[in-house]
Amino acid sequence: MDVAQTLEDVLEELVSIQKDVNKLKTASVSGQALRKRVKDANKKWLPVAGLLEAGNIVDTAPLQEVSDAWTAMVKLANGASPKKQYKALLKIIVTKTESELLHKFIKGSAIQTIGDTLRKLVQPIADPELLKYLDESIRCAETKCVRASVVLAWCAVAHMVHKKLTSLGIATLNAEFSKMKADKGLMFRTFAKDYVFSTGPDMQEAADAHLILLCRFLTYLDDTQYKHLKGALDLRNGCGHPTGYQPDPVKLQAYYADITQLVLLNPKFA
Amino acid sequence: MLDKLKADFDRIIELVNKAPAPLQETAFKMILEQWFNANTAPKPVPPPPGGPGAPAAPGGVPDAVKPFLTANAITTEILEKAFHPTGPGAQLLASSIPGNSMANKLVNLSLLLCVKQALESASFTCTLKALRELAVHYDCYDSPNFSATLKANKNYYKPREKGADLELSGPGLKKAGEIIKSIAAGE
Repeated sequence: MDVAQTLEDVLEELVSIQKDVNKLKTASVSGQALRKRVKDANKKWLPVAGLLEAGNIVDTAPLQEVSDAWTAMVKLANGASPKKQYKALLKIIVTKTESELLHKFIKGSAIQTIGDTLRKLVQPIADPELLKYLDESIRCAETKCVRASVVLAWCAVAHMVHKKLTSLGIATLNAEFSKMKADKGLMFRTFAKDYVFSTGPDMQEAADAHLILLCRFLTYLDDTQYKHLKGALDLRNGCGHPTGYQPDPVKLQAYYADITQLVLLNPKFA
Repeated sequence: MLDKLKADFDRIIELVNKAPAPLQETAFKMILEQWFNANTAPKPVPPPPGGPGAPAAPGGVPDAVKPFLTANAITTEILEKAFHPTGPGAQLLASSIPGNSMANKLVNLSLLLCVKQALESASFTCTLKALRELAVHYDCYDSPNFSATLKANKNYYKPREKGADLELSGPGLKKAGEIIKSIAAGE
């Protein structure tokens, strides 16, 4: 059974019932046809409720709340009952089903398939160091820890950027940072930091934002690529610090597509 | 290469002249772009193994999508404003979907997703699962009206069974072209 499709069908029918109930000029719902429609909609709902209960995608509390509201509404439909009570129950069922069940289910089922999608994107990567971070990141995504996944995937990017810049040699690196500081071009004029490294690991103290700017300065990235990588770093920073932002699986997929294309599989970083 | 361009130039101009006057500039640009694609020596391909799902180099528009771009006067520059990269691994760049209502946005999103899929696998299709996920992401998922909205715009899709994947029809491809151009124009 396609859970999302069935829930949409149930909601479509409930919204239609809601309209018809609102149109009634009487204080109670007594018409046989309308009451039958409520019971028929409930028959569609029950198997979906069973599937949602058996799965672990949606929370139990809203599911229970919606199920209780259905039980109450079916009781109302056994005879003529006040319109006011129908309206209250329909409102609960429609809003909770939509926001707490259906939307959560769609996001949750995206999580269930995100691992495959992300693995496909990183499939061509062979470096075991990178795969260590990426594998852990993907496993985080599969357990709904999207923010952790974003942060860990950035570790792979940082690893690759560090490796590339270290390969230039410390003296060249220091010189390039000085040149970038002296550059008054639009993109670099705000960079004012003095970096003097003595050893390769010193670079880990440098801000990632400055390292990727240096990658732009060294033309490993063009302006558009730099802009997108900066966006990925912003997302990483948003996820690695206490903020209210919670990226969804769609955002994670786009982030992965960017970092693989811009750095992890970019021949200029090889 | 310059010699070959000189030799082919007259034929290119001949072709451009066949297009209606207002479209001649676009036609010239597109033909020239195609000419350079066909006549530039391919750059050395980096050694990493490119599996079936591997993202392609930027700018690698699949051949199957090129007739759609030509028919709708969409240049690579325009396409790059809506998708990045413009080949396998393509992602929608828009931070919001054009449209003046949820239903309108949902339909536009479905058309863009079909183009995204075509950039990925050369078929202008999209699954309802992917559409729902993206619609939730872009805040244009109106669940009680999801099916009704798609049904009301069925001319954009090839005939299908309920719950089956969407595939763009002729009008759907045309509309998708218009949306891509409106995104590129920043509308």
